[in-house]
Amino acid sequence: MVQFVVDVLIRAVDLALIAIGLSSVYSLIRFPNVALVQYATTGALLALCLQMAGLPLVVAAIAACALVGIIAVVLNVIVFERLLRAGSAIAMIGSLALSMMFSAIFLVTAGPRPKRFELEINPPLRFLGARLTEHQLMSVGISALAIIVFALILFRTDLGRCMRATATNSVLASATGIDTRKVTNTVVFLSGVMAALGGIGLSVKGEMSAQLGLDMLLPVFAAAILGGLGNALGAAVGAVVIAAAETMVTNVNFGPLFGASVLFIPAAYATAASFLLLVVVLLIKPYGLFVSEVKRV
Amino acid sequence: MIRVNNVRAGYGDGPDILQGIDLTASGGEIVTILGPNGCGKSTLLKCIAGFVRPRGGAVEMEGRDVSAVAVHDKVKHHRMGFVPQTDNVFSTLTVADNVLLGARHLPVPERNERYAELMAQYPSLASKQERKASALSGGERQILSLARALISTPKVLLLDEPSAGLSPLMMHEVFAAIAAIRDRTGMCIVMVEQNAFEALSVADRAYVLSLGKVAIEGRAADLLADPAMRHLYLGGEPPPAEPHPRLAAVS
Ligand SMILES: Nc1ncnc2c1ncn2[C@@H]1O[C@H](COP(=O)(O)OP(=O)(O)OP(=O)(O)O)[C@@H](O)[C@H]1O
Ligand SMILES: [Mg+2]
Repeated sequence: MVQFVVDVLIRAVDLALIAIGLSSVYSLIRFPNVALVQYATTGALLALCLQMAGLPLVVAAIAACALVGIIAVVLNVIVFERLLRAGSAIAMIGSLALSMMFSAIFLVTAGPRPKRFELEINPPLRFLGARLTEHQLMSVGISALAIIVFALILFRTDLGRCMRATATNSVLASATGIDTRKVTNTVVFLSGVMAALGGIGLSVKGEMSAQLGLDMLLPVFAAAILGGLGNALGAAVGAVVIAAAETMVTNVNFGPLFGASVLFIPAAYATAASFLLLVVVLLIKPYGLFVSEVKRV
Repeated sequence: MIRVNNVRAGYGDGPDILQGIDLTASGGEIVTILGPNGCGKSTLLKCIAGFVRPRGGAVEMEGRDVSAVAVHDKVKHHRMGFVPQTDNVFSTLTVADNVLLGARHLPVPERNERYAELMAQYPSLASKQERKASALSGGERQILSLARALISTPKVLLLDEPSAGLSPLMMHEVFAAIAAIRDRTGMCIVMVEQNAFEALSVADRAYVLSLGKVAIEGRAADLLADPAMRHLYLGGEPPPAEPHPRLAAVS
């Protein structure tokens, strides 16, 4: 049981980081940016390159996150702000096109073979009977911290208030002296940083492949939609739900249920589980588990 | 304080909604903009605020051309307040947060003092401070929007139909409050209105728009007394002082 919770958390934090960014940015610019999952791969790839160039992993990770944040802002200004003038559907298709370009770039630069960070291998720690490695613990800790910091920014700072005001009514927000464009780009920067952190976290725990981002696309969207698109903390909860569903599918031994000693569902069905869950929840609650600030008027 | 010079404006690729408007408003006066639905009153106000960029001509504030200045910069540098005609509250935020957002740039003690003053002034808001603005009635939202704009004591206040949806009693109160602000602070107030009689009673000067042009301008008192104006734009005679016979019969 403890192992199950630990596995869910390990999976959920990285999902949550990306889904929170997706949801927050959605609340401001009203289209889901598909390319965000590729920012996760970019972050992992950059961190890997910087580590290979001789930087310690922590420094490489921080630099990669900052770089991805900047890339996110630059792309928002030169691509999405323009596309949005033609409407949110156009912007979303644009973000899909952009993420295909990212995929091509990853294939060319990183190649099709998965890569790994250079990490010391230590024996796993034991915690209430559950096993987890030092790197998993570190990664979960840092990601959880990042989520908490983001929540504090959202609910305790002037930037957070400005962000919620802009999400609710951007015309009125500028009439109260809020520079809505600056607020949006700040949130875009944060979403890039969080996506990169999520990507690095994922590759530290497993491996870094050009497919990393695209593999995350469906679960991240499922988490964000489940949480009520536009609701940042809802996305975090959505991530936990999706992670639990996936972990259930892959890690739980269904054998006793069917009179067999061992019966695991193949890991390839993990995504299917999150989708089944998403469809069922949306049929019951069409706006997700939590009403988002955007939908409620 | 505000000078609008031969401004032309419209939306997207559409035709000119404003076709060469001239308007001035100075500190300590209420200027009201009247006219039929769709004649461009809100567009003119949005042009002054900066939501709509003029296609020709210029908008000046305190002697500076501000035609290309962003809305949030005008709020900061020219202490402009703006109350839009619709969507005039942050519906997902509480009443208190709505009002306080209007005073983001004030120092905290001053902000709290102004907030307390406003709550004393508008008891209907004071009793609902922790409610979401989406849970307010139309009239209460109108008051909330006004309170949000007033908390920063702006120099220039642009109001788009502040009396919309208010009961007659509340409408009188709001107009009286606006007049009091003018007298006390010397604020420059530009107010678009449908309730022409009441607006002209508190305003100093008025502009009547028609099809994107200024049809009539003058002192509010003169316009109120002008029979042609009454006939064309104010819908005939003012309401009788005596109650209608049938109403009298009821009471
Ligand atoms: N966002 C917009 N996009 C395109 N056209 C618009 C837009 N807003 C207003 N218009 C058009 O501009 C014209 C003037 O609109 P405006 O809102 O200025 O009228 P108004 O005088 O304020 O009317 P009302 O008294 O009904 O509020 C109308 O014909 C309207 O259809
Ligand atoms: Mg109007």
